[in-house]
Amino acid sequence: MRVTHLLGFANASKNSTGTLSIQDDSLQFQRNGKPGTKVKIAFLRDVFLGAESKQVGGLPMTLGEAAAPFGGGRVVSLFAHKKYDTLTLGYVDADGGIHGAIFQLEKGQGEVMRNELMARGVTISSHHVQPAKASDAEASHESK
Amino acid sequence: MKASKCGSSIALVIGLVAVILALPDMLPGQTAAAKSSGGEATSPTRWKVQVDQVDPGNLELAYSFQIAIYENLVEELKKTTRFQQVFRDGDLKASAVPNLLVLKTTVEKYTAGSETRRAVTTVSGATKLTVRNQLLTREGKVVLERTVNGDVRFFGSNLRATHNLARNVAKTIKQSSWSGSGQATATLTGQL
Repeated sequence: MRVTHLLGFANASKNSTGTLSIQDDSLQFQRNGKPGTKVKIAFLRDVFLGAESKQVGGLPMTLGEAAAPFGGGRVVSLFAHKKYDTLTLGYVDADGGIHGAIFQLEKGQGEVMRNELMARGVTISSHHVQPAKASDAEASHESK
Repeated sequence: MKASKCGSSIALVIGLVAVILALPDMLPGQTAAAKSSGGEATSPTRWKVQVDQVDPGNLELAYSFQIAIYENLVEELKKTTRFQQVFRDGDLKASAVPNLLVLKTTVEKYTAGSETRRAVTTVSGATKLTVRNQLLTREGKVVLERTVNGDVRFFGSNLRATHNLARNVAKTIKQSSWSGSGQATATLTGQL
Protein backbone atom coordinates (compact mmCIF):
# COMPACT_ATOMS: atom_id res chain seq x y z
CA MET A 1 0.00 0.00 0.00
CA ARG A 2 1.06 3.58 -0.71
CA VAL A 3 2.47 5.32 2.34
CA THR A 4 4.58 8.30 3.29
CA HIS A 5 7.52 7.43 5.48
CA LEU A 6 7.76 10.19 8.08
CA LEU A 7 10.77 8.97 10.01
CA GLY A 8 12.77 6.13 11.48
CA PHE A 9 12.35 3.11 9.20
CA ALA A 10 15.77 1.51 8.61
CA ASN A 11 17.70 3.71 6.17
CA ALA A 12 14.72 5.16 4.34
CA SER A 13 14.77 8.91 3.90
CA LYS A 14 12.32 11.12 5.78
CA ASN A 15 9.07 12.26 4.18
CA SER A 16 9.51 9.92 1.24
CA THR A 17 6.60 8.26 -0.50
CA GLY A 18 6.66 4.62 -1.43
CA THR A 19 5.09 1.23 -0.94
CA LEU A 20 4.85 -0.59 2.36
CA SER A 21 4.42 -4.31 2.00
CA ILE A 22 5.04 -7.61 3.73
CA GLN A 23 7.61 -9.73 1.88
CA ASP A 24 8.07 -13.20 3.36
CA ASP A 25 9.26 -12.59 6.90
CA SER A 26 10.00 -8.87 6.49
CA LEU A 27 8.23 -5.57 6.33
CA GLN A 28 9.51 -3.67 3.31
CA PHE A 29 9.37 -0.03 2.37
CA GLN A 30 10.24 0.65 -1.24
CA ARG A 31 10.46 3.96 -3.03
CA ASN A 32 9.59 4.02 -6.71
CA GLY A 33 12.22 2.11 -8.65
CA LYS A 34 14.68 2.03 -5.79
CA PRO A 35 15.82 -0.93 -3.71
CA GLY A 36 13.66 -1.38 -0.65
CA THR A 37 14.60 -1.25 3.01
CA LYS A 38 13.47 -4.13 5.20
CA VAL A 39 12.87 -4.91 8.83
CA LYS A 40 12.20 -8.46 9.92
CA ILE A 41 8.72 -8.89 11.33
CA ALA A 42 10.21 -10.88 14.20
CA PHE A 43 12.02 -7.70 15.27
CA LEU A 44 8.81 -5.66 15.49
CA ARG A 45 7.78 -5.00 19.08
CA ASP A 46 4.90 -2.55 18.85
CA VAL A 47 2.32 -1.49 16.34
CA PHE A 48 0.26 1.55 17.08
CA LEU A 49 -2.42 3.24 15.04
CA GLY A 50 -3.19 6.95 15.24
CA ALA A 51 -5.00 9.61 13.28
CA GLU A 52 -3.85 12.97 12.01
CA SER A 53 -5.40 15.78 10.08
CA LYS A 54 -3.05 17.60 7.79
CA GLN A 55 -3.14 20.48 5.39
CA VAL A 56 -3.04 19.45 1.76
CA GLY A 57 -0.92 21.07 -0.91
CA GLY A 58 2.26 21.45 1.09
CA LEU A 59 4.34 24.61 1.05
CA PRO A 60 3.02 26.01 -2.28
CA MET A 61 -0.52 25.83 -0.94
CA THR A 62 0.53 27.44 2.36
CA LEU A 63 2.24 30.30 0.54
CA GLY A 64 -0.78 30.72 -1.73
CA GLU A 65 -3.08 30.90 1.26
CA ALA A 66 -0.85 33.46 2.94
CA ALA A 67 -0.80 35.58 -0.20
CA ALA A 68 -4.54 35.48 -0.79
CA PRO A 69 -6.15 38.89 -0.14
CA PHE A 70 -8.82 39.70 2.46
CA GLY A 71 -7.98 36.63 4.52
CA GLY A 72 -9.24 34.35 1.79
CA GLY A 73 -6.42 31.93 2.53
CA ARG A 74 -7.80 31.29 5.98
CA VAL A 75 -11.13 30.24 4.53
CA VAL A 76 -9.35 27.91 2.14
CA SER A 77 -7.40 26.47 5.10
CA LEU A 78 -10.66 25.53 6.77
CA PHE A 79 -11.39 23.06 4.00
CA ALA A 80 -7.95 22.22 2.64
CA HIS A 81 -7.13 19.45 5.06
CA LYS A 82 -7.32 15.71 4.93
CA LYS A 83 -7.42 12.95 7.51
CA TYR A 84 -4.72 10.32 7.54
CA ASP A 85 -3.87 7.26 9.55
CA THR A 86 -0.47 7.11 11.17
CA LEU A 87 1.16 3.75 11.75
CA THR A 88 3.85 3.81 14.41
CA LEU A 89 6.15 0.82 14.69
CA GLY A 90 8.59 -0.04 17.43
CA TYR A 91 11.33 -2.51 16.52
CA VAL A 92 14.77 -3.61 17.61
CA ASP A 93 17.96 -3.99 15.61
CA ALA A 94 20.40 -6.89 15.72
CA ASP A 95 22.14 -5.38 18.78
CA GLY A 96 18.91 -4.93 20.69
CA GLY A 97 18.74 -1.17 20.12
CA ILE A 98 15.22 0.20 20.04
CA HIS A 99 14.01 1.98 16.91
CA GLY A 100 10.76 3.62 15.99
CA ALA A 101 9.21 4.38 12.62
CA ILE A 102 6.18 6.40 11.63
CA PHE A 103 4.22 6.04 8.40
CA GLN A 104 1.35 8.12 7.10
CA LEU A 105 -1.32 6.18 5.26
CA GLU A 106 -4.64 6.86 3.61
CA LYS A 107 -7.49 6.74 6.10
CA GLY A 108 -8.57 3.18 6.78
CA GLN A 109 -5.40 1.56 5.48
CA GLY A 110 -3.57 1.75 8.78
CA GLU A 111 -5.93 -0.74 10.34
CA VAL A 112 -5.47 -3.13 7.43
CA MET A 113 -1.70 -3.07 7.82
CA ARG A 114 -1.91 -3.37 11.60
CA ASN A 115 -4.20 -6.38 11.34
CA GLU A 116 -1.85 -8.01 8.85
CA LEU A 117 1.07 -7.52 11.19
CA MET A 118 -0.88 -8.75 14.18
CA ALA A 119 -1.85 -11.85 12.22
CA ARG A 120 1.86 -12.52 11.84
CA GLY A 121 2.43 -12.40 15.54
CA VAL A 122 3.28 -8.75 16.25
CA THR A 123 1.83 -7.64 19.56
CA ILE A 124 0.52 -4.34 20.79
CA SER A 125 1.94 -3.26 24.13
CA SER A 126 -0.56 -2.44 26.83
CA HIS A 127 1.29 0.74 27.82
CA HIS A 128 0.43 2.32 24.50
CA VAL A 129 -3.31 2.10 24.95
CA GLN A 130 -3.74 5.86 24.75
CA PRO A 131 -4.04 6.70 21.09
CA ALA A 132 -3.40 10.13 19.61
CA LYS A 133 -6.33 11.50 21.57
CA ALA A 134 -5.76 15.09 20.63
CA SER A 135 -5.31 14.21 17.01
CA ASP A 136 -8.43 12.11 17.05
CA ALA A 137 -10.33 14.92 18.69
CA GLU A 138 -8.95 17.31 16.16
CA ALA A 139 -9.90 15.00 13.33
CA SER A 140 -13.43 14.53 14.60
CA HIS A 141 -13.80 18.26 15.23
CA GLU A 142 -12.65 19.06 11.75
CA SER A 143 -14.96 16.55 10.15
CA LYS A 144 -18.00 18.38 11.53
CA MET B 1 48.35 71.10 4.18
CA LYS B 2 46.15 69.55 1.49
CA ALA B 3 48.87 67.03 0.68
CA SER B 4 49.17 65.94 4.31
CA LYS B 5 45.38 65.49 4.57
CA CYS B 6 45.42 63.39 1.43
CA GLY B 7 48.32 61.35 2.77
CA SER B 8 46.60 60.68 6.07
CA SER B 9 43.38 59.57 4.38
CA ILE B 10 45.36 57.21 2.12
CA ALA B 11 47.05 55.79 5.20
CA LEU B 12 43.64 55.36 6.85
CA VAL B 13 42.28 53.51 3.82
CA ILE B 14 45.36 51.26 3.69
CA GLY B 15 44.96 50.53 7.38
CA LEU B 16 41.31 49.65 6.93
CA VAL B 17 42.07 47.35 4.01
CA ALA B 18 44.79 45.66 6.07
CA VAL B 19 42.36 45.10 8.94
CA ILE B 20 39.69 43.72 6.61
CA LEU B 21 42.16 41.36 4.96
CA ALA B 22 43.55 40.20 8.29
CA LEU B 23 40.15 39.65 9.91
CA PRO B 24 39.14 36.45 8.10
CA ASP B 25 42.45 34.88 9.15
CA MET B 26 42.04 36.00 12.74
CA LEU B 27 38.51 34.74 13.27
CA PRO B 28 39.13 31.08 12.48
CA GLY B 29 42.20 31.24 14.66
CA GLN B 30 40.12 32.48 17.57
CA THR B 31 37.52 29.80 16.96
CA ALA B 32 40.17 27.12 16.83
CA ALA B 33 41.69 28.34 20.08
CA ALA B 34 38.32 28.34 21.75
CA LYS B 35 37.59 24.90 20.42
CA SER B 36 40.87 23.44 21.55
CA SER B 37 40.63 24.92 25.03
CA GLY B 38 37.08 23.64 25.35
CA GLY B 39 38.16 20.27 24.11
CA GLU B 40 40.95 19.97 26.64
CA ALA B 41 38.73 21.00 29.48
CA THR B 42 35.86 18.70 28.73
CA SER B 43 37.26 16.10 26.31
CA PRO B 44 33.81 15.72 24.81
CA THR B 45 34.80 13.05 22.38
CA ARG B 46 35.72 10.69 25.21
CA TRP B 47 32.08 10.37 26.12
CA LYS B 48 29.49 8.14 24.61
CA VAL B 49 25.80 8.56 25.16
CA GLN B 50 22.88 6.21 25.29
CA VAL B 51 19.51 7.74 24.51
CA ASP B 52 16.76 6.21 26.62
CA GLN B 53 13.17 5.98 25.45
CA VAL B 54 10.99 8.94 26.26
CA ASP B 55 9.09 8.78 29.52
CA PRO B 56 5.66 10.36 28.98
CA GLY B 57 5.21 10.86 32.73
CA ASN B 58 1.58 11.28 33.64
CA LEU B 59 0.69 12.81 30.34
CA GLU B 60 -1.32 11.20 27.60
CA LEU B 61 1.29 11.64 24.94
CA ALA B 62 0.69 9.69 21.75
CA TYR B 63 3.15 6.88 21.06
CA SER B 64 4.00 8.48 17.73
CA PHE B 65 5.18 11.60 19.58
CA GLN B 66 7.30 9.54 21.98
CA ILE B 67 8.88 7.70 19.08
CA ALA B 68 9.40 10.89 17.10
CA ILE B 69 11.15 12.61 20.03
CA TYR B 70 13.37 9.57 20.58
CA GLU B 71 14.32 9.17 16.92
CA ASN B 72 14.95 12.89 16.45
CA LEU B 73 17.09 12.97 19.60
CA VAL B 74 19.29 10.14 18.32
CA GLU B 75 19.65 11.88 14.98
CA GLU B 76 20.36 15.35 16.36
CA LEU B 77 22.87 14.08 18.92
CA LYS B 78 24.75 12.28 16.15
CA LYS B 79 24.85 15.53 14.20
CA THR B 80 26.44 17.49 17.06
CA THR B 81 29.56 15.24 17.14
CA ARG B 82 29.64 16.05 20.86
CA PHE B 83 29.84 12.36 21.66
CA GLN B 84 32.10 9.69 20.30
CA GLN B 85 29.16 7.35 19.85
CA VAL B 86 25.42 7.54 20.24
CA PHE B 87 23.71 4.35 21.38
CA ARG B 88 20.05 3.54 21.38
CA ASP B 89 18.11 2.31 24.37
CA GLY B 90 18.59 -1.44 24.78
CA ASP B 91 21.76 -1.61 22.68
CA LEU B 92 23.82 -4.49 24.07
CA LYS B 93 27.08 -2.92 22.87
CA ALA B 94 26.55 0.03 25.20
CA SER B 95 26.86 -2.10 28.33
CA ALA B 96 30.56 -2.70 27.79
CA VAL B 97 31.80 0.75 26.76
CA PRO B 98 33.53 3.07 29.24
CA ASN B 99 32.56 6.73 29.77
CA LEU B 100 28.94 6.17 28.97
CA LEU B 101 26.35 8.78 29.77
CA VAL B 102 22.64 8.05 29.68
CA LEU B 103 20.21 10.64 28.39
CA LYS B 104 16.83 10.42 30.09
CA THR B 105 13.90 12.43 28.76
CA THR B 106 10.72 13.00 30.72
CA VAL B 107 7.83 14.92 29.24
CA GLU B 108 6.60 17.61 31.61
CA LYS B 109 4.11 19.54 29.51
CA TYR B 110 2.36 18.85 26.28
CA THR B 111 -0.12 21.01 24.45
CA ALA B 112 -1.69 19.28 21.51
CA GLY B 113 -2.07 21.76 18.72
CA SER B 114 -3.89 21.74 15.43
CA GLU B 115 -2.36 22.38 12.06
CA THR B 116 -5.68 23.60 10.70
CA ARG B 117 -6.22 25.99 13.61
CA ARG B 118 -2.74 27.38 13.07
CA ALA B 119 -3.47 27.93 9.40
CA VAL B 120 -6.83 29.57 10.03
CA THR B 121 -6.08 31.74 13.06
CA THR B 122 -2.26 32.09 13.02
CA VAL B 123 -2.22 32.91 16.73
CA SER B 124 -3.67 29.70 18.20
CA GLY B 125 -3.23 25.99 17.67
CA ALA B 126 0.45 25.78 18.53
CA THR B 127 1.80 22.36 19.50
CA LYS B 128 4.08 22.71 22.52
CA LEU B 129 6.34 20.26 24.28
CA THR B 130 8.39 20.72 27.43
CA VAL B 131 10.75 17.98 28.55
CA ARG B 132 13.23 17.50 31.36
CA ASN B 133 16.50 16.07 30.14
CA GLN B 134 19.03 14.43 32.41
CA LEU B 135 22.47 13.21 31.47
CA LEU B 136 23.49 10.59 33.97
CA THR B 137 26.53 8.44 34.49
CA ARG B 138 26.13 4.70 34.72
CA GLU B 139 26.12 5.04 38.51
CA GLY B 140 23.16 7.40 38.31
CA LYS B 141 25.01 10.64 39.01
CA VAL B 142 23.43 13.56 37.19
CA VAL B 143 25.96 15.58 35.19
CA LEU B 144 23.52 17.76 33.31
CA GLU B 145 19.89 18.57 33.89
CA ARG B 146 17.91 20.91 31.70
CA THR B 147 14.34 21.74 30.82
CA VAL B 148 13.90 22.25 27.12
CA ASN B 149 10.98 23.40 24.99
CA GLY B 150 9.99 22.61 21.46
CA ASP B 151 6.98 23.87 19.58
CA VAL B 152 5.47 24.55 16.21
CA ARG B 153 3.56 27.80 15.99
CA PHE B 154 2.94 28.64 12.37
CA PHE B 155 3.83 26.26 9.58
CA GLY B 156 4.35 22.54 9.72
CA SER B 157 2.74 19.42 11.09
CA ASN B 158 2.30 18.69 14.78
CA LEU B 159 5.18 16.21 14.71
CA ARG B 160 7.52 19.03 13.72
CA ALA B 161 7.46 20.08 17.38
CA THR B 162 9.41 16.92 18.20
CA HIS B 163 12.08 17.83 15.66
CA ASN B 164 12.40 21.34 17.06
CA LEU B 165 12.55 19.93 20.58
CA ALA B 166 15.30 17.46 19.73
CA ARG B 167 17.29 20.18 18.00
CA ASN B 168 17.02 22.37 21.12
CA VAL B 169 18.10 19.49 23.36
CA ALA B 170 21.11 18.77 21.16
CA LYS B 171 22.00 22.46 21.11
CA THR B 172 21.77 22.66 24.90
CA ILE B 173 24.01 19.65 25.33
CA LYS B 174 26.46 20.91 22.75
CA GLN B 175 26.83 24.25 24.48
CA SER B 176 27.12 22.76 27.95
CA SER B 177 30.30 21.32 29.35
CA TRP B 178 31.23 18.92 32.08
CA SER B 179 34.59 17.76 33.37
CA GLY B 180 36.01 14.79 35.16
CA SER B 181 38.44 11.97 34.57
CA GLY B 182 35.87 9.26 35.05
CA GLN B 183 32.20 8.67 35.36
CA ALA B 184 32.09 8.91 39.12
CA THR B 185 33.86 12.27 39.22
CA ALA B 186 32.01 13.87 36.38
CA THR B 187 30.42 17.15 37.36
CA LEU B 188 28.68 19.87 35.51
CA THR B 189 30.80 22.98 35.17
CA GLY B 190 28.67 25.09 32.94
CA GLN B 191 25.41 25.14 31.14
CA LEU B 192 23.23 27.33 29.02
